Amino acid sequence: MIHIENLVKRYGNFIALDHLNLDIKEGEVFGLLGPNGSGKTTAINCLLALLKYDKGTITVFGKEMHPDSYDIKQDIGVVMQNVAVFDQMSVWENIDYFCGLYVKDKKTRLELVEEAIHFTGLEDFRKSRPKKLSGGLLRRLNIACGIAHKPRLIIMDEPTVAVDPQSRNRILEGILELNRQGSTIIYTSHYMEEVEQICSRIAIIDHGQVLATGTTEELKNMIKTGETITLEAIALNKEQLAEIRGLPHVFEISYEEQVLKIRLSRAKHNLVRILNYMQEHDLAFGRVFSELPTLNDVFLEITGKELRD
Amino acid sequence: MLFLFKYRFLQTIREFSVMFWALAFPIILGTLFYFSFGTSISATGETDWDAINVTVVSEDRSSENAKAFETFLKKIDGGLLTIIPSSSEAEALTMLNEEKVTGIFYVKESPSLTVGKNGLNESILTGALDSFNQNSSMIREVLSEHPENLPAVLESLGNYRQTVREETLGGKTLNPNVQYFFALIAYACLSGAFLGVRASFDTQANLTALGARRSVSPTHRLKLVIIDMLVLVTIHFINILILNLYIIKILKISLGDDIGSLLLVDFMGSIIGICIGLAFGCISKLDLDMKMGISVAITLIPGFLAGLMFGNMKNILELHCPIINRINPAAVLSDAFYCLGIYNDMARFTRCLIILAVMSIVLILIAFLGVRRESYDSI
Repeated sequence: MIHIENLVKRYGNFIALDHLNLDIKEGEVFGLLGPNGSGKTTAINCLLALLKYDKGTITVFGKEMHPDSYDIKQDIGVVMQNVAVFDQMSVWENIDYFCGLYVKDKKTRLELVEEAIHFTGLEDFRKSRPKKLSGGLLRRLNIACGIAHKPRLIIMDEPTVAVDPQSRNRILEGILELNRQGSTIIYTSHYMEEVEQICSRIAIIDHGQVLATGTTEELKNMIKTGETITLEAIALNKEQLAEIRGLPHVFEISYEEQVLKIRLSRAKHNLVRILNYMQEHDLAFGRVFSELPTLNDVFLEITGKELRD
Repeated sequence: MLFLFKYRFLQTIREFSVMFWALAFPIILGTLFYFSFGTSISATGETDWDAINVTVVSEDRSSENAKAFETFLKKIDGGLLTIIPSSSEAEALTMLNEEKVTGIFYVKESPSLTVGKNGLNESILTGALDSFNQNSSMIREVLSEHPENLPAVLESLGNYRQTVREETLGGKTLNPNVQYFFALIAYACLSGAFLGVRASFDTQANLTALGARRSVSPTHRLKLVIIDMLVLVTIHFINILILNLYIIKILKISLGDDIGSLLLVDFMGSIIGICIGLAFGCISKLDLDMKMGISVAITLIPGFLAGLMFGNMKNILELHCPIINRINPAAVLSDAFYCLGIYNDMARFTRCLIILAVMSIVLILIAFLGVRRESYDSI
């Protein structure tokens, strides 16, 4: 559905997109995951032909995307990172206006507006002005304005920024529902939990480059970490730390403020092996837990820095 | 198209801040003008007449003409002018220098007048003397052959005040304060710039998310820009009509009786105001607050130069730097209102409209050059 090849975008000497390549298939919820400033929004703006780029090609629905590709734009819905609605118009008027930019038939448009209001749960706020809405409701209105015309492709650029957990869950559920109804979704975020929750495939971006692409499981399998075991309130000396570092499948440990974190590669009975060591050496500890790798671990291992940075 | 027009119209008129500057502020300013001028503007929009102070120096009263002139002056004393006695020419000149009197009439075979400066009152005195000179032979003839008719003749000449006030300069009011209202309407026209600046933000994807959202829609960009332009001109034309109605119907100040031409100037003024805002909004990357702040200057400075705060400003510029009056849209608009309200000079009126049309076209081109890009180097 979307093919981006060798996309280069420079701002003076700064390279925002560095030979970016992406392929997005119809029916996917495709996540663009990366820290702030990694190039996600720049890539989206290039894809929408809002930004000029220095090199590369972008095709959408099999056609090259240009600023005047109105036939392509007809099938795209965009939910901007910043809320893009008219403060002077009511919820209903805003959705009707933006839907009207895509749908000319009045009867169809009115039906679509009602569907969008119902879909985003804004039934009780039809006549409200945006300034009277809470942050979460405002985000929902922003989404309604972007998706009311039922586009084939929906691009959502960090739609849950500054949204309360309840509204965030509703928005994420809504995105999955849109996908079930047949829309392909491109979802950018720096919240790895969200991306992990809803995206069928993910591209990790940093410094304008795609570092890895795949499903959540595929990405996690790309890295060495299979498990992270944490022991809290434990007192260890240097010799003991060296011994733990030498245990089978342990490839990295960190010990700060009596919290021991052990990264291990994929293997059976990792936790049992660690607990046995503690028992053999009569080492007391408070709490112990084991975690499977997260997208943050993937990002950390690929880039050497935390995604949350 | 009508659907998009409707929503843009509603959205714009609900934008309190820009509608305040474009509609409410000129009305408030007009009201303040009205009350600050106090009683000087009557119900007809004309000035209550203040007699002009003069003094008379009798150099030679022996001739018939001198006697006739002296009689003429006595006749109009208390009406058009007030004669303040002086004992000598030196005292009269002192009074003139101290601006206690506007002029000195010399009674002699060939009556003459000395004034201290140029101005409306000085012109009226000159006109009175000219009127006497033109009719002096008739007065002498009446004096010698039909002295009983002299009062009637002088009465007729004494009505010069009415002649001056109502018949000269195209038969319209001469109230100098009306020029403030012409400048005010011109300023109000330019205040359409606030609407233009605000609307330009919703068109440019590099400035606002709304601009980006509209830019990624399948509705042609040119169509959106044209709709915006039509909406803004319509709204601002209505704003100006409301201001005109307020001035004419509530403040009772005449803006001339050629309604068609008045509407034409209002319309051209609305266009030029909107175009200034769109052009400025489209070529600059400043944020909205900064642009709105600069728009205050963009509208008030031309208004000031057109006489909004200092009535004689336009005349001073006309004397020293007339090109400013030609390129200042507020001055051109004010001039067009003068042509309608005072001069009845259609050639000058047409010239004003042509200047406004050319300015509007240039500004539209600038705005178009600013927004013609459909993708940006940076967002």
